[in-house]
Amino acid sequence: MFHKKRKSLVVMSVIMSALIMVSGCGASKPAATTPAADSKEPIKIGFLGAKTGDVAMYGLNTLKGLNMAVEELNKEGVLGRQVELVEEDNAGQKDQAINITNKLISQDKVAAIVGDPTTGITRVAGQIANSKKTVILSAGSTGMDVVEIGPYVFRDTLLDTIAAPATMKYVIQEKGWKNVALITSKNNDYSVSLSKIFSDAIDANGGKVVIEEFIQDKDTDFSGQITKIKSANPDVIVFSGYYTEGALIMKKAREVGIKAIMVGGDGLQGDDLMKIGGAAVEGSISYAGFSPEQPTPNTEKFINAYKAKYNNELPDLFAAQGYDALMLIAKAIKDANSADSEIFKDSLAKTKNYDGVSGSITFQENREPVKSPVYLLEVKDGKFALLKKVPVEIK
Amino acid sequence: MPILNNLMQQLVNGLALGSIYALIALGYTMVYGIIGMINFAYGEIFMFGAYAGLVLALTNYVNVYVALLGATFITMVLGVVIERVAYRPLRRSSRLSALISAIGVSFFLSSLMVRVKGPNTRGFPTLFENRIFEIGDFQITIYQIVIIGVAGLLMLSLHLFVTYSKMGRAMRACAQDQDAASLMGVNIDRVISVTFAIGSGLAGAAGVLAGIYFNAVQPYMGLLAGLKAFAAAVLGGIGSIPGAMIGGLVIGLTEILGVTVNLSEYKDAFAFAILILVLLFKPSGIMGRKANKKV
Repeated sequence: MFHKKRKSLVVMSVIMSALIMVSGCGASKPAATTPAADSKEPIKIGFLGAKTGDVAMYGLNTLKGLNMAVEELNKEGVLGRQVELVEEDNAGQKDQAINITNKLISQDKVAAIVGDPTTGITRVAGQIANSKKTVILSAGSTGMDVVEIGPYVFRDTLLDTIAAPATMKYVIQEKGWKNVALITSKNNDYSVSLSKIFSDAIDANGGKVVIEEFIQDKDTDFSGQITKIKSANPDVIVFSGYYTEGALIMKKAREVGIKAIMVGGDGLQGDDLMKIGGAAVEGSISYAGFSPEQPTPNTEKFINAYKAKYNNELPDLFAAQGYDALMLIAKAIKDANSADSEIFKDSLAKTKNYDGVSGSITFQENREPVKSPVYLLEVKDGKFALLKKVPVEIK
Repeated sequence: MPILNNLMQQLVNGLALGSIYALIALGYTMVYGIIGMINFAYGEIFMFGAYAGLVLALTNYVNVYVALLGATFITMVLGVVIERVAYRPLRRSSRLSALISAIGVSFFLSSLMVRVKGPNTRGFPTLFENRIFEIGDFQITIYQIVIIGVAGLLMLSLHLFVTYSKMGRAMRACAQDQDAASLMGVNIDRVISVTFAIGSGLAGAAGVLAGIYFNAVQPYMGLLAGLKAFAAAVLGGIGSIPGAMIGGLVIGLTEILGVTVNLSEYKDAFAFAILILVLLFKPSGIMGRKANKKV
């Protein structure tokens, strides 16, 4: 991946070549050898994620889900062997993630790695794991260029390309809100690419973007854009950015008397949305890959066991996806009758309609997951509440 | 007709935004006029005013006017303290030293606020209920009326103060020639302190108004606002008080105009492009006088 980022700046290229040398050193270590399937040694699974730092919440909750999966799997064992988790803390840092991934594969000789919950680190770790022929399953990354790395890289998350069209179908066809005001934050990559998906989905579902406006993250004055949106008189405001700007936009919209509600992606899901937006964001709709409300029997069992294990705490998206990640790997190992990544990666790639606790999971031909249902959340009385579970059809 | 109405609507948006810039710009221009120094910390004083207003408003015991007055008072004190600590010791050294000191103060204040209140954007509590006034299709919110009204009132009082009061006359005297004013018995230190107090108070008031109008307060809000206000001061003619007012309004209006013509991603660039254009044709700014060389 470093080759992609060719820059003319001398400094940049010096840093880059230094990095290539570092990762090159890693690659020269002896290739991983997985223990033979008939040995009674435990099957080791590596955990890649942050236990400290800014994104520690993602890592810690993934770990909780993983530990539950380990406990459950070890009741019966996998291929007559126990499952053992090797935990490391990358603190959300790419350099540490590189060292840890190398260590997990070369030293601990893990059968597979679950992690990282973030896209950036998964891309880096995915390069290493793929070149060393070890399965890596990210329980969290949603960005682009992840599974494209190679046949050993997987993820079990709800993707925007699945969720955003499902959300628009609900908004336009079920709610009948056909005239859409689309707002994009121009200096936010996530928002720009999500707006593209939203815009295509609006067209596909017979809706119409009556006005398209642009803001920037950290902007505070939206009066100009809101005035234009008011005169376009949309049925709904679709905003593809983050919660802070979302809250400020809606406050300004209510101020000038716009009644339409806001619809957006999971970027809207921060408690600051309600803290800043207050009554103005009531009714706002966003999507998520998990909700503990209205569970299926399988999910309910998981929630109850989770609450019993972790002081009555409700599992979140990362816990559910972490649990599913390990269960998927265990199932693939059983199906392939081998804990060798080179062999069970193929049975993992064939996963179809797996009944996970975060929804049903199918890997498409390119290994991108299709998850169903999409959980639509609504802000109700200052909290995110489940509005509807929208099923996704697999083509 | 709808286009015209839309334009009117955007004009009001621009006026409200411009009033906030104008209030900060006054601080820049007054200090420059008197000691020939750019106080780059004004943006951060503006930010402090917004936070002071936020803290006061969150106590639930105060109404909008108390929050406004309280924040103004707090920033006045802050401005005087900054001048004493960071600028006065450097008054006789080169202008560059004072400028660097000002940049230091600016970083210190924003970092301090990150430490105390955290880096996140905070919502501003509702100090009074919103109302919309409609005149035909045209509408204006009570927030916009308050922003424009309060800013106008403050600028008018400043103008009267500088033109008619004794202290105002002393300030103008210092602006013309500090040494001569000193010989005539004007207490220079006091005049400078008062100048900083007034300038900072206006920036603080602007902070509260911005908090009310944008609903948001964050530690780095002063950086861009301060930069645009500085541009406004230069555009209007630095050192000229009416110039700062006009400059602020022009910058605010251009910014909104950028959004109106679908170039919102360039709205910040617009403000500075106008600045460059004006300076190309009239280097002293819109209201600036040609600098007279002292012999």
